[in-house]
Amino acid sequence: MNKPLSRREFLKTSLAVSGAALLAACAPKGMPGTSAPATKAPAAAGAKKLVFSTYIFQDFQTAMDKVIDGWIATKPAGSVTVERQYTDGPTYWDKLQTQIAAGTPPDCGISDYGRLVSYAKDGTLLSLTDRIKSSNFPLDKFIPGALAQYRWKKGDFDTGAPDGDYFGLPGDAQSQIFAYNKTMFDAAGVSYPTDDWTWDDLRAAAIKLTDPSKNQYGFYMDPEAEMFLRQIFIAAAGGSIYSPDSKSSGLALPGTTEALTWFWNLIWKDKAAMPPYSKPTDQPFAQKKVAMTVEGVWWIADFDKGVGTGAWDVALLPKHPKTGKRTTSVESDGWWVFEGSKEPDLAWDLVQYLAGPTGQKIFSGLNYIIPSCIPTVATDWYAQKPPDHRSKILDNLNMDSAKIAFTGYEVATVENVYGPILLKPFFDGSDLTQALKDAGDAVNSELTTAWADYNK
Amino acid sequence: MITVKRLQAHPLKHSRRGDGLTAWLFVAPILLGILIFAVYPIVFSLYASFTRWNLINPPVWNGLENYITLFTKDPTFPLTIQNTLLFALCTVLIGAFLSLLLALLMNIKCTGQNFFRALIFAPIIVPTAAAALTWSWLYEPSSAGIINAGLKLFGIGPVPWLNNTHFALWAIIIEAIWAQLGFNAVIYLAGLQSIPTEYYEAAEIDGANTVNKFIHITLPGISPITFFVLVTSIINAIQIFDIPWVMTQGGPSNATQMIVMYLYVNAFRLQRMGLASAMGYIVFIAIMIITFINFRLSKMWVFYEETI
Repeated sequence: MNKPLSRREFLKTSLAVSGAALLAACAPKGMPGTSAPATKAPAAAGAKKLVFSTYIFQDFQTAMDKVIDGWIATKPAGSVTVERQYTDGPTYWDKLQTQIAAGTPPDCGISDYGRLVSYAKDGTLLSLTDRIKSSNFPLDKFIPGALAQYRWKKGDFDTGAPDGDYFGLPGDAQSQIFAYNKTMFDAAGVSYPTDDWTWDDLRAAAIKLTDPSKNQYGFYMDPEAEMFLRQIFIAAAGGSIYSPDSKSSGLALPGTTEALTWFWNLIWKDKAAMPPYSKPTDQPFAQKKVAMTVEGVWWIADFDKGVGTGAWDVALLPKHPKTGKRTTSVESDGWWVFEGSKEPDLAWDLVQYLAGPTGQKIFSGLNYIIPSCIPTVATDWYAQKPPDHRSKILDNLNMDSAKIAFTGYEVATVENVYGPILLKPFFDGSDLTQALKDAGDAVNSELTTAWADYNK
Repeated sequence: MITVKRLQAHPLKHSRRGDGLTAWLFVAPILLGILIFAVYPIVFSLYASFTRWNLINPPVWNGLENYITLFTKDPTFPLTIQNTLLFALCTVLIGAFLSLLLALLMNIKCTGQNFFRALIFAPIIVPTAAAALTWSWLYEPSSAGIINAGLKLFGIGPVPWLNNTHFALWAIIIEAIWAQLGFNAVIYLAGLQSIPTEYYEAAEIDGANTVNKFIHITLPGISPITFFVLVTSIINAIQIFDIPWVMTQGGPSNATQMIVMYLYVNAFRLQRMGLASAMGYIVFIAIMIITFINFRLSKMWVFYEETI
């Protein structure tokens, strides 16, 4: 008869098995019993490794893989490998923050203009200025507003200093488009927007195009995304949310008040603009509920799908009736290198490839939804249809564009406080004048706190 | 060999020293996991609540500044407390009342009783986020939204449920009540069925009518259930995140911003980990106080079977 396992023997066996499993799990890669990490190509002995990190959405991963493969192909076979860390958009920045806090950031990756000041100030990012100079990187080919959001001078609260260092390079040019539904215009007997359109023309058309019986409005624009963050219409009127030195609120400036009041009136007095949705992912123009809208250029594919090819088009942003300006904002995803990179030169080599004409041509060839911020590379993109007058987007960029305003230190924190106060009248028609005053006080208070944090 | 008699007399006193060590070794792995993944984060979070920390730089001690900021300088935090308390009050009280009503109906013997019980319980098995998203479509301000389409038949609306600061919170409260109705109703049903029928028979003999029986037998009989429902509902309501996050993300204009959502925004969008940790502890302390008060008050109105 077999002797039953005693309690001590069972315990010893369990501990031994657990210990072996623990050792196997914690063993360095390559030890017997562990699996080798997956790589796109087998690494040759002495191959340099780069860790590249980005968020992904839609077909961006396909585009990234193609461009990175193109860069690897420029190197001697097997001399470099790239570990690509792809993360879904909503969780990317949480993951990156954790990596930085743990001291294990990637070598390089996709950048965020809203975080640049914080990261650069804390020494998280590598300055690229010297490398740009030594490699004669063609900065003159870039849209100035796109470059400005990646330049920062020590001590500045915001990016854009003409003599600031480069802490990243822009990759694309995300500007705003003024889209209109041709079918609705035809049905209402209203002429299509022209290059001479002003805010008054937009307002008059919106009133004619509004039809309550069909739940149809003449115009829609997300006030938070377009006016507060990108300052569409505000910049054209000569205003801004912050003062030029970023130390106080600009909400009392005549241009700011004028732009916000004009838009509020369009919603609540003229009843010609749809009140904002609380979930900005619902885009009423794509749902054929409004005749005109201002949105980001990345909406082109969705507008075409929702409204129908040939049933819509774009025009230049209507200009301010007095200043004549039609300022669009330029924001750019781009690339940066982290200070802790073990291969800074290699990382810079990849970044300049991604941001430079060669990499940008590959992106353009993939017909990616956002054009390159090198206009000469993006010519084909802007020449495409739909919509019929896509080239107007580039025209507007060249005529009048500015670095996106959402780049200051702790800008998200400040906006988080004044944003809801200033948004409320757009949502429910309450008094804008009081909201402007209250939001202005909030901006002043939050900027004081932000500056105190900045100087610590 | 240890005899049964010895075990019954002094089961622990006569155990071998190795038995204690063996027991600790068996629970050690799970205990280690709890210490590392539960206790340590809780303790570290308490420390973080007294620091300025953005995850990139090491935490810097700043004493009570985070707590002072939340109560005196942050204009949004008091609003989140107000929203959360209103949400909790409405969902708990209205939800408990409606759940009891449903349980009373479910307790009536009728044809298709099981079908109706399954129908009432069904919302519980729907994932919360999916249900919240579906309700967003129901609340659609145009005629595509079923609720507004229904109101239109009575000449009302369209009501901008989720896009208006006056309606948005109520829209979320309605959805939250719907989501929990079935679960609490089933718990109440179990409570109703545990009340001995002899009490009702005795009351009938004494001439009690339906209302008298409900007030003097049913309500005291289910008071432990009501206590359980209230305590768990309050704790869940104060920690609400998923429903308002899916439906409105705190908008419009912070009208539906709740404490835990604001904690998340501060921690992971604004990188203010110290402030977020302070908020977490404020919520924890608030729940502890409310639960303690509930337990103290329960002595006045909760009757367990042996005391009826």
